Amino acid sequence: MIDKAIPIAIGRVVATELKPATPHQFHFWTPTDTTIGIGAIVRVGGLGTGDEGRVVYGVVTEGFAYSDLATPLHDVVGAEGDPTRAAEAPTARQQIRYWTAAVLRQTPEEPLQPVPLGQVYLADDADVAQALRMDGFLYSATPTAIPVGLYTSAGRDSPVYLDADFLLGPEAAHLNISGVSGLATKTSAVEFLLASIFAHFPAHKGRVAAVCFNVKGPDLCFLDQPGDLSDEDRRRYERLGVPSTPFERVQLYAPLKADGVNLNTLRTHPDLVDDVEPLTWGLQEVVDYAEVLLNRDDIDAKADAFIDFLRDRVLSRTFDDGFGTTHRVQTFADLDRLFRSIFDGLEITAGGRSDTWRTHHIATMRKVRNRLLNISTRCKGLVTDDGPSSDLPWNEFKDRTVYVIDIANVDPLGQDLVFARVVSKLREQLERRELGVDAVVVFVDELNKYAPGDGPDTYVKKMLLDISERGRYLGLVLFGAEQFRSQVHRRVVGNAGTQLFGRMDMDELATPGYQVLTPATKSKLATLPIGELMVRHPHFTQPIFVRFPKPPVLRGRDGVERFPPAADVPFEDAVVRQLVRLDRRVRPNQVKDLIADREQDDVRRALAAARRTRPDDVLAYFRKVLGARVDSDGSRAREHQAVPPLNPISGEPY
Amino acid sequence: MTWWHALIEAGAVPAAYAPPPSVGASARDEAVGNAPADLVEDAELETHAVASPLAGVIPRAVSFLNGIERWSIVAYDGVVQIVNAYVAAAVCRRDDRGVLHATFERSRAFAVAPIDRVSPTLRPLLEQMAPDIEPVDGELAGQPARYLEQVESTVRRARAHLERELAETATASLGAEEWLVLDGLLSRWPAVTRHPRALGVIKSHGAQFLEGRGLERALTLPAGYRTSVFAVRGGHTRTEVYSWYLRLWPWEGNDLLYGLLRVEARADRETVTRASAVSSWLWAERAPLATPATRWDRLLYPLHHVEEYLKARAPRSPAVRSRLPVA
Repeated sequence: MIDKAIPIAIGRVVATELKPATPHQFHFWTPTDTTIGIGAIVRVGGLGTGDEGRVVYGVVTEGFAYSDLATPLHDVVGAEGDPTRAAEAPTARQQIRYWTAAVLRQTPEEPLQPVPLGQVYLADDADVAQALRMDGFLYSATPTAIPVGLYTSAGRDSPVYLDADFLLGPEAAHLNISGVSGLATKTSAVEFLLASIFAHFPAHKGRVAAVCFNVKGPDLCFLDQPGDLSDEDRRRYERLGVPSTPFERVQLYAPLKADGVNLNTLRTHPDLVDDVEPLTWGLQEVVDYAEVLLNRDDIDAKADAFIDFLRDRVLSRTFDDGFGTTHRVQTFADLDRLFRSIFDGLEITAGGRSDTWRTHHIATMRKVRNRLLNISTRCKGLVTDDGPSSDLPWNEFKDRTVYVIDIANVDPLGQDLVFARVVSKLREQLERRELGVDAVVVFVDELNKYAPGDGPDTYVKKMLLDISERGRYLGLVLFGAEQFRSQVHRRVVGNAGTQLFGRMDMDELATPGYQVLTPATKSKLATLPIGELMVRHPHFTQPIFVRFPKPPVLRGRDGVERFPPAADVPFEDAVVRQLVRLDRRVRPNQVKDLIADREQDDVRRALAAARRTRPDDVLAYFRKVLGARVDSDGSRAREHQAVPPLNPISGEPY
Repeated sequence: MTWWHALIEAGAVPAAYAPPPSVGASARDEAVGNAPADLVEDAELETHAVASPLAGVIPRAVSFLNGIERWSIVAYDGVVQIVNAYVAAAVCRRDDRGVLHATFERSRAFAVAPIDRVSPTLRPLLEQMAPDIEPVDGELAGQPARYLEQVESTVRRARAHLERELAETATASLGAEEWLVLDGLLSRWPAVTRHPRALGVIKSHGAQFLEGRGLERALTLPAGYRTSVFAVRGGHTRTEVYSWYLRLWPWEGNDLLYGLLRVEARADRETVTRASAVSSWLWAERAPLATPATRWDRLLYPLHHVEEYLKARAPRSPAVRSRLPVA
């Protein structure tokens, strides 16, 4: 709803030879008691603007106050050197509030002329829409406006919108948010913006979902739980037309712990843990992204060639190793058996005379083996030595759904792997238009860590660059957050069409990237309160300050207090819990009797199979898989658990 | 097109002489010479220390009146100098926060010319185009220097007239406890002189009311002291007012008149009673300094403010404009 109030002039444009008005900047004065401040949007119009009725919109970027005091010494003399007497003067010196404003828009736009010396008015809702060029996408036949917050300077309360075409593609895309940590701004802003996108994403643009990587604590673990909102927050939601309710559809994925049954997340409270899906990957999922596991020194053509060989010729195929053994490699355990067979073959069969196998040098093979098998140790729970995977629904992403992937407690290497694979799969599915939605917002916090401006070119950094530069054509949109924007790769932040800034550190503001801001704007940025942001958007020619309401979801810290994480349960109880979750008819004692004296790996495999298959009669299916596996291939199962840790061969120089 | 441009187009010679701008009351406003004063306080002229202003000494509501005048020769008709003049006066009232707000304001823009000496070609045009003409005697038209003195006197009279009108209006509307402080002689205007809360503050000391020991005491008055109150008759009406000297800033190291004010108030015993309190109030008005005015040592800041207000609202000097090349 746009309010149209009767305008009252609050100032007047003045121009001198030393400080003239230009087409991009003007100066004006106001009474000493004024409501405007840095960031206020004003309109120049009325008397003095000429016959054509030129109207200019500007945003206040600098403010000055001074009196008719010729020199500070005169104040000293007047007070006879006593500061306490200075305030006793019966007459207040004439003083001025003098403002500098940057032009946001002129109408008519041609010919572009200096700002006329007219009267200055506070911008109302309609003026804000005009000034920020929001009228084009707010009032069009197919509006693409996404509320980002309220412009609240000078006592106003005007909604500010982003253009979905420039926030989520295809015109521009991506969003970057910077700000110091601990002020509940970056994550909160993204949470609010996602809610806003879900509420206002235009129907003609299709379906949208979000994938959020939770990389620290419980930040994003309670997006489906309502948080405490003040009346003011609710009023702001109403003003912005965004529901003040938590996300209706949230799917949280978390890897398992090393025990393979307890979830590695802080959302393990009994009331909530049932909503968490395990995220476990096997060899097939990992080997496609083996480059992630290789450090810079490892990357060479030989290793790449061998990985390609494994991927193309070995995995999930019946394969003869040339030493008389046929392999079908589907798990890490299978892969380890293949490697051992090859190494043994070279040692025993070839008598140690050959150090190559199928043109691949033994050293290259040992290196690749180490890297691949190492991940199954370091990320045990995420990567299973043996058994099937539990993955995101790559063909069935739901509209307006948030998919949270909790990797906060995963080894950094595993985090890289998760990130690389998820983003790659999203890209692949979007390219094929098989994801189930037309656009996906990927929220990545700590871009300082994943896409630093300096340091080696990691696979993850290259992937982020790829999204930044090409994602908008696919509908793959990066929402990145970081504390220090100056330390993030310039192409990642540079490609973000929309940029948000929370409270900034003064040292950060001193870096070259902020030179375009006035000292007053920097000062405001350094003291921004919680819930206020500076926004840069392609339609806005100048940064704009907005307020956004507290997210309607439970903050991570509050969530952990309200829903304390449960302690890890014993293996049997964890299995029971997961089966009961699949089928409420399952009786715990039945399960416990069934798995008593069974190998845990067998139980895990059966459990994973039940989870993946989701049969009508879960217990029967579980019994069948567990029994068949143990009975038919018992010796092999025991062999599986003997996948050796890497330490025994860590003496190798690879 | 201004009236003088019309004259120039009709054959007058453009001119661009402007005397230094005059603001506030000048020495010429005051009578020059010796006018004996009668002491109405003390047996002989004494000096009294002015106490630091206590709470309540400074009136809550005070209005300040000041005026400006500007004139410049804008055209010549032969040797006849045709003048464009502007006078203005304003009253600014000080609010509870010490901020001054204009409450009354008057201005007049007019031509000054010896109508009877203007050529037959230009005279009808002048009378038709100039909205307001102040005629002057044409006898001095052939003596440019003396003629300009006559013009200056005419303009000053016009300003004084405007100030008087405004002062009478302002005093008529003063609140119960409100004071009016005028820049210059109070004794110029009998109606205002009678008001119990009207003060004239005189910065120029062309007239000497004291002599001998009394004069010496007055001229060497220490900062923060006033003299005894004496009665004087000033202005053309010779209206009696009570008066005293007050030193705002030390004269030592400067000159005898440095920081020296003369205050005029109603000729009434109450004025004598109030002299110390009023002096204490005016002493407090030293701050803020009325810089960058050159006579800041004697100019009260609020009166300076009224001047600046009037200058800001005055039209641009035609002399400045006429210096631009004529196309």
